[in-house]
Amino acid sequence: MRAYYQLTLAQLRIFLRNRQVLFWTLAFPIFLMIMLGAFLGNGNGISLSVAIVDEDKSEQSKELVKELLKNEAISLEKDLNEKEALKHLKKGDMSLVVIIPKGYESSVVNGVQANPFKLPVYYNETNLAVSQVGLQLVNNAVDTISKKQVDYKPVVVTDSKGVDALNLRYIDFLVPGIVAMMIMSNNMNGVAGQISSWRERGILRRMQGTTLKASTFIAAQITARFMLNGLQAMIVLGVAWLVFGIEVRGSWLTVISFVTLGTLAFMAIGFIIAGIAKTPESAGPIAGFLSFPMLFLGGVFFPIKDMPEFLQPIVQILPIAHLSHALRETMNVGASILDLGLEAIILGGWLIGAFIVASFTFKWE
Amino acid sequence: MESQQEIISVEGLVKRYGDFTAVDGSEFKVHKGEVFGLLGPNGAGKTTTLEMLVGLRKPDEGTAIVGGFDIMRELDKVKEVIGVQLQSTTLFELLTVDEILHLYGSFYREHISIPDLIEDMLLSEKKNSRIKGMSGGQKQRLAIALALVHDPQIIFLDEPTTGLDPQARRTLWDIILRLKERGKTVVLTTHYMDEAHVLCDRIAIMDQGKLIALDTPGELVRNLQSDSAVEFRFKDNVDMDLSKIEGVKQVGSQKDVHVLYTDNLQKTLTSLISLASEKELKLVDLQTRTATLEDVFIHMTGRRLREG
Repeated sequence: MRAYYQLTLAQLRIFLRNRQVLFWTLAFPIFLMIMLGAFLGNGNGISLSVAIVDEDKSEQSKELVKELLKNEAISLEKDLNEKEALKHLKKGDMSLVVIIPKGYESSVVNGVQANPFKLPVYYNETNLAVSQVGLQLVNNAVDTISKKQVDYKPVVVTDSKGVDALNLRYIDFLVPGIVAMMIMSNNMNGVAGQISSWRERGILRRMQGTTLKASTFIAAQITARFMLNGLQAMIVLGVAWLVFGIEVRGSWLTVISFVTLGTLAFMAIGFIIAGIAKTPESAGPIAGFLSFPMLFLGGVFFPIKDMPEFLQPIVQILPIAHLSHALRETMNVGASILDLGLEAIILGGWLIGAFIVASFTFKWE
Repeated sequence: MESQQEIISVEGLVKRYGDFTAVDGSEFKVHKGEVFGLLGPNGAGKTTTLEMLVGLRKPDEGTAIVGGFDIMRELDKVKEVIGVQLQSTTLFELLTVDEILHLYGSFYREHISIPDLIEDMLLSEKKNSRIKGMSGGQKQRLAIALALVHDPQIIFLDEPTTGLDPQARRTLWDIILRLKERGKTVVLTTHYMDEAHVLCDRIAIMDQGKLIALDTPGELVRNLQSDSAVEFRFKDNVDMDLSKIEGVKQVGSQKDVHVLYTDNLQKTLTSLISLASEKELKLVDLQTRTATLEDVFIHMTGRRLREG
């Protein structure tokens, strides 16, 4: 017990005194999070910029503008002339250009005619998805005005009931992914590098010459790394909260449970790598070989469902995929640990399987 | 030595690496309270023998009883009674002397007072310094301190002074002799003759995996049957039979350096000089000395301990 405590303490001291490692293992995820968050953080919801060129400048045209403004998704640009507006549209700065030609008011006031008044709406064909949504919104606004003019009374209406849906931004998606990434790289790469270097330098052999048990040594490693990881995860979440206002919607207990499970699973994989790697120099590339695909396929930066069909079976067994998904569900949706049974089982399976393999491949020297 | 209690008994240890036999059936006994030296050139099997005794390598054949326990069957008990300092071990460089001693102390059921140990190993001023910044001699003293932390009966030191400057070596010798005074048994490996001579009560000479001699340093030298050595070179290479020189019992030649072993230094020396003048040969680097363990080794193997 004393050995366990002393070894944990020693490992924590080594972590804290190795300032450079400490700084960069923390700085990298935070930097990545802030960079990606700043560029893409709000990119998930569609925002429409619509230029409206009011050539009529009448009561009725103002009414139409007001109608369009009601929609929050539209940011309206009113101070352009037709030529400028079309130029912006071509460059992609604008999604739509609506032109209200002269004579709009008189036409509207005159009421129903054989040929309804035509309102020109320009859209950019290269960005069709956004344009379609925009056209729909403009149609709605125009429709409302038409109906008002003819005193239209609907026979059937839809009764839409708003559900408190989550308005998730990319940053909400990203932060749990970053935490998962940090757990993976700190443990898998960290354990592989440290253990193989301790072995090379004879540190492990010297300890083997004492009555210390391997299980005590490994238990202390796990404890120290878990404490460090927990702290780092808290710092990243703290920064995410300060900078982007991200909060944990689910229970902290669930977050901590998955951080623990992830730490253990990736440490076990790290021990396997340390066992396989003949030199500390080769441990890095082996760990990189495993961690890079996991970063890109495992749902850290991009949703797993965006991956091609043929990769899905591979992606679905990666431990990082389940760790990032579980953290995401807990933080974003507030899922409880009971909803995440499958993720817990798969991570647990990795943990047990990897520890069994590690116990066979582990060497003191 | 006088009949003493055996503390280590090595019984036919063999270690093979593929076709290469690193240790070929070593058998020897170590007495309680003595400093026992394993002497030999690099690759003689000293370190492998020592590592088998402390349980870091499994022997292919044979076994040993260390401190009353069998290294094959009771390794955990063996580890409690031995302290080990290994060759080329680095320690946790970011920890301090005090911290690492407490750490290693915690690996055992009991440990001695750490402040006293630090004092004994002359590390007081480095107590709170990180290992990273210490000198070679200080690191080596720390390595020995780690071997002593649980007050073991037997201490194994693998080339404790290799790579140290002369002053640091002497400090370490004092420490080892003090361990002996306290009744500890010390087993050390070295390839320094002077070190073996100063420190060891008995020496086992190893060469190519085999134990080729075991005795006290004095006795080993005496067995050469010559107490003096004359060492010299000829300025030009000459081929001649040096054993004909008066009083010479044995000739050892290494490249162009010739060594004559003799019991009658004066006679041999005069005879050598007159021979040289007669044949108009120029003697270079002439020196005489008493025979040493180095000579014992050359005598037994035909090679020097440290090549080159």
